[in-house]
Amino acid sequence: MATDSRVRVCGDDLIGIDVADPGAAQVLATNLRASGKWLDVVAGVDSVVLRFDAALEDVGTASRRASDSIDYRASASSDSRVVVDIPVCYGGEFGPDLDAICSQVNLSADEIVALHTSGQYAVDMLGFTPGFAYISGLDVRLRVPRLAEPRQYVAAGSVGIAGGRTGLYALPGPGGWSVIGRTTFPLFDASAQEPFALQPGTRIRFIAVDA
Amino acid sequence: MGVEVLKAGLQTTIQSSPRLGRRHFGVPASGPADPLSMAIANRLLGNDLLAPALEVTLSGLSLRFESEASIAVTGADTTVKLGGQAQPMHRTLRAGVGDELHIGAAKQGARAYVAFSGGLVGEQVLGSVSTYIPAGLGGHHGRALENGDRLELHPVRSAVDDCETPAEFRPRMTTSWAIRVCDAADTGLLQFREQLFDTNFAVSNRCDRMGMMLEGPRLRVESDGRLPSAPVFPGTVQCPEDGRPFVLSVDAQTTGGYPRVAQIARMDRHLLGQLRPGDHIRFLWRREQSAIDELRAKIDYWREWLSDAERII
Repeated sequence: MATDSRVRVCGDDLIGIDVADPGAAQVLATNLRASGKWLDVVAGVDSVVLRFDAALEDVGTASRRASDSIDYRASASSDSRVVVDIPVCYGGEFGPDLDAICSQVNLSADEIVALHTSGQYAVDMLGFTPGFAYISGLDVRLRVPRLAEPRQYVAAGSVGIAGGRTGLYALPGPGGWSVIGRTTFPLFDASAQEPFALQPGTRIRFIAVDA
Repeated sequence: MGVEVLKAGLQTTIQSSPRLGRRHFGVPASGPADPLSMAIANRLLGNDLLAPALEVTLSGLSLRFESEASIAVTGADTTVKLGGQAQPMHRTLRAGVGDELHIGAAKQGARAYVAFSGGLVGEQVLGSVSTYIPAGLGGHHGRALENGDRLELHPVRSAVDDCETPAEFRPRMTTSWAIRVCDAADTGLLQFREQLFDTNFAVSNRCDRMGMMLEGPRLRVESDGRLPSAPVFPGTVQCPEDGRPFVLSVDAQTTGGYPRVAQIARMDRHLLGQLRPGDHIRFLWRREQSAIDELRAKIDYWREWLSDAERII
């Protein structure tokens, strides 16, 4: 079994690697993906999980292989200079959790909107569902946890906050983040040459707009 | 060369190979929720095991054939009527022009599979024909079938022999399932880990291709809802702070922030496609390498009927 403390078995065909931050996770995941030796390489905020073919490889071998292939050398700077403006209609029916957050963080709705639109943001990673973007840069005063019970339905374009990040829901579906507004910005188009409008590293500004 | 959909039922979709290697973009696997049953249907027609076929959920389906075709029905226990005659599941059936096929409601299990000689024509999006409804990808316009839809069939390359699934290769449906799991990344956050294995969980009404919520005594997790978002996979069992675990299935999201308390072993993931609201689940704990050894024994067993069983188990 792995002796590397960064490497953890997390299923009969899954190996997790603990990573310092989202930037490091993206670099490590990119390198492991380029090796072509894993069925899936998926980055989280502070981890990368690898799926291996358990029909062909034992878990101990896969762990050692993961441990031996940890590589944080970045091939090119992923720092993006592109700034994308995301228009958001805050509160009301588009942001059903805005009022609940006011009491959680002791700020008025206007103050929350002012804070959210004044931040400098960057996309940490894509994930969850196609087009969903995890965005860092949220003001510490807006740190709220996930909903204890996830919602069955969150509308497409919903702008959520949780765990110190902003998340953009490209698709309708279940979700566990507090929804503060909604955008019409097209996040995902399967038929486009480049289906995902945002990439890890893309810089973001949120602009308040009226419904 | 095709069929007309007379009654599409609750949710009937075209499924085929999963959409692999795109989870880092948030694109889920999709494909049949019970790939083993779909493979058995395709096997009866000499198709590739993952040739595009129909996944029929709970309620039935009615089709009319506009051309001759061979078909096979597998998966959830249901009734099959073709050209006015009751027909068995697990056998090659011949449909003539104008024949109607009626699949009844599932009696046990959740999903029946209808495969067609040559396979269905579907839209390939991001590397797969499988339908992923939330993003409108693949299949028939990225959605569940609707009454009046017309589906095309690929031409058949060679004659289809009559064939029947041997009794030992017909997966048994039940209402009470035992499912092997291994520890997951956040199993340590469970306050009473044995609760996961001592509980006879019931599948709730929140049950679809993305996942299913389980009913039972609330589990206790030591989490404040602020875990960093982390990768999840089909078969990951997450437990939010409300203590009600949910099991992720083929259309599972690719990352999530609720504690990952168990991971269903690869060999049992195909069973998720047959769980329906009200069914019961017991989780059986396995060490990772034991689960892998059992996986290989299962693949060896199935190879006698499905030559490349490792692709679908």
